[in-house]
Amino acid sequence: MRVMNRYLLIVFLILLLVACGSNESATPAGDADLQTIRLPMGFIADPQYAPFYVAAEKGYFAEAGLEIEFDYSFETDGIALVGAGELPFAVVSGEQVLLARAQGLPVVYVMEWFQQFPIAVVSKANAGIDDPADLTGRTVGLPGFFGASYVGYIGLLSANDISPDDVIAEDIGFTQVESLLSDQVEAVVGYANNEPVQLAGRGEDVQVIYVADSIDLVANGIITNEDTLAQNPDLVAGFVDALLRGLVDTLADPEEAYAISKQYVEGLDDSRYPVLEASLPLWEADPLGVTDPDTWQQTEAVLREMGLLDAPLDNLEAAYTNEFVE
Amino acid sequence: MMSFLNRQPAALTTAISFLLLILGWHLLTVLGDYDRFILPGPADVWAQFQVVVADGRLLRHTLITFSEIVPGLLIGVLIAAPLGYLLANSPLANRLISPYLIASQAIPIIAIAPLLTIWIQSTYWSRVLVAVLVVFFPILVNVIAGLRSVPDELYEVMVSLRASRGQIFRKLEFPAALPVLLAGLKVGATLAVIGTLVGEFVQPKSEGLGFLLVTARYQFKTDLVFVVLLTLAALALSLYGLVALAERRLLRWQANGK
Repeated sequence: MRVMNRYLLIVFLILLLVACGSNESATPAGDADLQTIRLPMGFIADPQYAPFYVAAEKGYFAEAGLEIEFDYSFETDGIALVGAGELPFAVVSGEQVLLARAQGLPVVYVMEWFQQFPIAVVSKANAGIDDPADLTGRTVGLPGFFGASYVGYIGLLSANDISPDDVIAEDIGFTQVESLLSDQVEAVVGYANNEPVQLAGRGEDVQVIYVADSIDLVANGIITNEDTLAQNPDLVAGFVDALLRGLVDTLADPEEAYAISKQYVEGLDDSRYPVLEASLPLWEADPLGVTDPDTWQQTEAVLREMGLLDAPLDNLEAAYTNEFVE
Repeated sequence: MMSFLNRQPAALTTAISFLLLILGWHLLTVLGDYDRFILPGPADVWAQFQVVVADGRLLRHTLITFSEIVPGLLIGVLIAAPLGYLLANSPLANRLISPYLIASQAIPIIAIAPLLTIWIQSTYWSRVLVAVLVVFFPILVNVIAGLRSVPDELYEVMVSLRASRGQIFRKLEFPAALPVLLAGLKVGATLAVIGTLVGEFVQPKSEGLGFLLVTARYQFKTDLVFVVLLTLAALALSLYGLVALAERRLLRWQANGK
């Protein structure tokens, strides 16, 4: 009998736990009409995503009938999930769209969020690396010979007719700040809105060479898949419109956007405001969200030069559309 | 069917199971009609394998990973075995050190690996160290278990024969612990592959199978991901086989005694 009681108690406790769990997920009552969309962001929660947070907080997504669940998993997972039709949208960088399409993933870029390719070469101000030509013969640290930073680096060299053989590229992992400060390398490749800000925060005078000043490559934006485009264009239109409104508001009032971000980024204090500030010029454009066909051709050319694409895509124009931003 | 298979030579049954696996995989891709980036078929993977073999990439990256696995395994054994001996023989050392060793196993290697890359400037050694850490514990546990399995009566016999400490070690403890140590080494050999890969994942740099895997994922070449995974499996199997071979030689006395 006692054993039976204990058994019942355990069952009861389990039921209680389950009830608590399900209760929690059911709390946003009244949002039942909203379609929940999991959105792979490509990076950890960060004030760089302020336009998304603003659009969510001000109800722009809700007005489009959407509730966004931010998913901070790796970029490649997002593309694969969208390509496989599991999710409708993801935030990814442009070169990834071309690499994915080359492997048959039916992803389409529908909104350019970063108008400027955010990669930059950063050096100490007194190193004498003031423009791309100064990189010749210098040691440059890269987080690795892959990813957006490598694409940006090769694009920069190529646009300035510098052979990669004339620069000593070193693999330093994601230790750009430490490697530059300790003079292990003379310059590092990183994100224009991150490493320079971090270095400046440590009191170091830095010189920044922006890749975007030399070559226009497709940067981060929103992708969907061909099925969603064909069967549910309203969903795409609603999502893009909401995000564009969030972007407009962020550019107009970054301080408000940062305050909103604090609700979405756990433990965010004011120290990362400069990151948002440095991001704003990378986003600005008129009109917002439009992607330029030339940029896609240049991105494809750089990927081919790097050997990441074996051949030109069959139909480069199918990789993007401005239908929802014009 | 089973009795038929039982009567065949081992090589044949292995080949049959391998072919069945490939066939099942092929059927899955055909029946499921999966896109190649989701689940490539055996033919896609074979084609990709030929590409990376022909351009030399697979061999280059495999050799680099191999050159990290082997020192990782050896250093792991060289640290774990003497420490295991100490812990098995000294209750004081056991009380002083064991709690920390056990607690350390609760820390996932994936959480420490990034720190190691910061602490150790050398990419190579930071990757080797991850392998060492993964290999260390199973070897240690097996050494202790092996030594503790020696019956007290045998110790008493050795003592009554006035055997020295060195003689007890050489004639009793070492042979007695060897089977369990070798079993630990077999586990360690496969773990060393995983450890090295974790190290390469955290510090992809531009070489090693971990780098090739990261690049393949970046390029959405799932067939290349499979090639790397199968290569890693082959590496682990070879190392396991080597230890098993050594085991058969070293423990021949045991088989003869039966």
